Amino acid sequence: MSNFFLKHILHSISIILGVISLSFVLIYLVPGDPVKLVLGQRADEKTVEIVRKEMGLDKPIYSRYFDYIFKTMKGDLGVSYITNRNVLLTILEKFPATALLSFFAISISALFGIIIGLFAAIKVHSKFDSGSIIFALIGISIPQFVLGLLIAFIFGSILNWFPVTGYISDGWQYMVLPMVTLSLRPMAIIARITRSSVIEVMSFDFVRTAKAKGLSKMKIIFKHILRNSLNPVITTLSASLAATLGGVFFIEYIFNWPGIGLLAIDSVIKLDFPMVQGTVLFSAVIFVFINFIVDIIYSVLDPKVKLT
Amino acid sequence: MKIDKINPVITKQKIKGQFYTFRLIVQNKFALTGLLVLLFLSLLAVFAEYVSPFNPDMQVLEFTAKGLNFKSKVLVKKSNSLIPIKDVISDSGDSIIYKDYDGKEKLISKDGLLKPSHIKWEKNVTYLLGTDGLGRDILSRIIYGTRISLSVGLISQSIALLIGIFFGATAGYFKGITDKAVMWLINVVWAFPSILFVIAISVVLGKGYWQAFVAIGFTGWVDIARIIRGQFFELREKEFVEAAKASGFKSPRIIFRHILPNCIGPLVVSATVGLATAIIFEASLSFLGLGVQPPTASWGQMIYDGYIYIIVGTNWWIAILPSIAILVTVLSVNLLGDGLRDSLDQKLIK
Repeated sequence: MSNFFLKHILHSISIILGVISLSFVLIYLVPGDPVKLVLGQRADEKTVEIVRKEMGLDKPIYSRYFDYIFKTMKGDLGVSYITNRNVLLTILEKFPATALLSFFAISISALFGIIIGLFAAIKVHSKFDSGSIIFALIGISIPQFVLGLLIAFIFGSILNWFPVTGYISDGWQYMVLPMVTLSLRPMAIIARITRSSVIEVMSFDFVRTAKAKGLSKMKIIFKHILRNSLNPVITTLSASLAATLGGVFFIEYIFNWPGIGLLAIDSVIKLDFPMVQGTVLFSAVIFVFINFIVDIIYSVLDPKVKLT
Repeated sequence: MKIDKINPVITKQKIKGQFYTFRLIVQNKFALTGLLVLLFLSLLAVFAEYVSPFNPDMQVLEFTAKGLNFKSKVLVKKSNSLIPIKDVISDSGDSIIYKDYDGKEKLISKDGLLKPSHIKWEKNVTYLLGTDGLGRDILSRIIYGTRISLSVGLISQSIALLIGIFFGATAGYFKGITDKAVMWLINVVWAFPSILFVIAISVVLGKGYWQAFVAIGFTGWVDIARIIRGQFFELREKEFVEAAKASGFKSPRIIFRHILPNCIGPLVVSATVGLATAIIFEASLSFLGLGVQPPTASWGQMIYDGYIYIIVGTNWWIAILPSIAILVTVLSVNLLGDGLRDSLDQKLIK
């Protein structure tokens, strides 16, 4: 058991080291002189040299690489070119908003995705089933920012049901549109997987046995079929967390939700490299962390996954 | 039957099988629709010059943000640019007096005008899908946008295929430490939210057309590598690989000539899915102003142009029409991909 945890932790750390290295490569590839980006193009030679030394850019590449790894491991992600504020502190400040939005979105998508998939599978080839297939296809095909725009336009501007831009501190109704937008894509993916998984499980012998025993339909569906078809759904759920984290950027931008997504896209538009790197690195580390937790939960829930 | 198993690639059965896949797609109504729509869009992209009613970059300031099916009279200049008019008042030999769009009377020399084939100098124009904030024809811009969307999708997907096949095949074929290293790399790239990774790469490379597909290609290979690796794991244990090894063939030859052709099915399916993602990513990049640069028409850029209007609740068509174009394209790619997967599954069952 402890071996299992150790192995997982080491694996996660190695992935995070890789993530940091890749992000170093990205910084290294930025065209132009980073010192001039900080000081402006017209800075005089002497100041440029001093700042270059201060930033450690005069050292050879390998020592810069190790410096970067140590600095990042300590949580020092540098300062923003634009606001001069500490990158990590800014990100941590914005993170709760993103976490809140993602948490509610993923919960809603899991709940409704499983319900839709289950009923579509039970009434296979019915109108509801075809409807769910079309819903899933559209949900997967529509880019998040397009969906955000459509929802903002229909429910915000035309029907005027919910406000388009704002934060939850102004009232719960500000969260409705971004949350719905964010949940649709993972919901579509989960509904699809649940449907195919339930259809497969329904053909198994134990379902026939349960029917022959005269169990009630509800009991068969929820206790026998659903429970046995949830495994691929849980795997998809953790994968769709990635989809949610990816989608959150555009949705926060469109609905002006003050999380790390809005921060990231704002920094991209302003070409604030340290902030872009910081948000990329931060989301990747969060993703590795979530995967670690999911793996642990998965192995505890499913005895088939060996704890070695 | 036994011959098939040893080398399924070159037997008759396989050739029949390829047509079988095609037949299954044609029979599958959804997949057929997707295929036909994609063919139609590709034709639009190739023949954009001949199909689009206007020059997609031509701005007519008087025509800013006009709605669907907007009609007007215009005079056409020699440079092919348009002068919007209310009416031609009189034709006096070598010049024309006309009432311009604001109702003022003006005079223009006929030398500056494009000689029309018919007697009247004025021409009626129709903007079927309206115009955008700079008075450009939306229909023409959507047609030209197909070029960007499909070409970036195809090229970036080819890059992703090359990288993905290389890593997937080496990992799956050699196993052991190679596989561990490749899997580590896959997991590292996998950890980045892919759209943000694409954005970060294109921020690093700078804005532009080729930057877009390099950025998308360098993220898309992961899924392909995974699929290929899984396939290779299975296939490398088959008799025909053993036979090839016993015949003394070198590894690259076994990988490319013997194993890879047998992965074509799953490869095509995952490449199709990747194409859909690549099209979405391209649109997202140009929505942020990172992809193809204006004035070149791209759908993401068009949506961004209309985004400000949408938030205020006016002139919806500027953003919604290119959104529909993206949705239709990605939907058809996905329909085709699903159809391919289904036909592959059916083939496996058979």
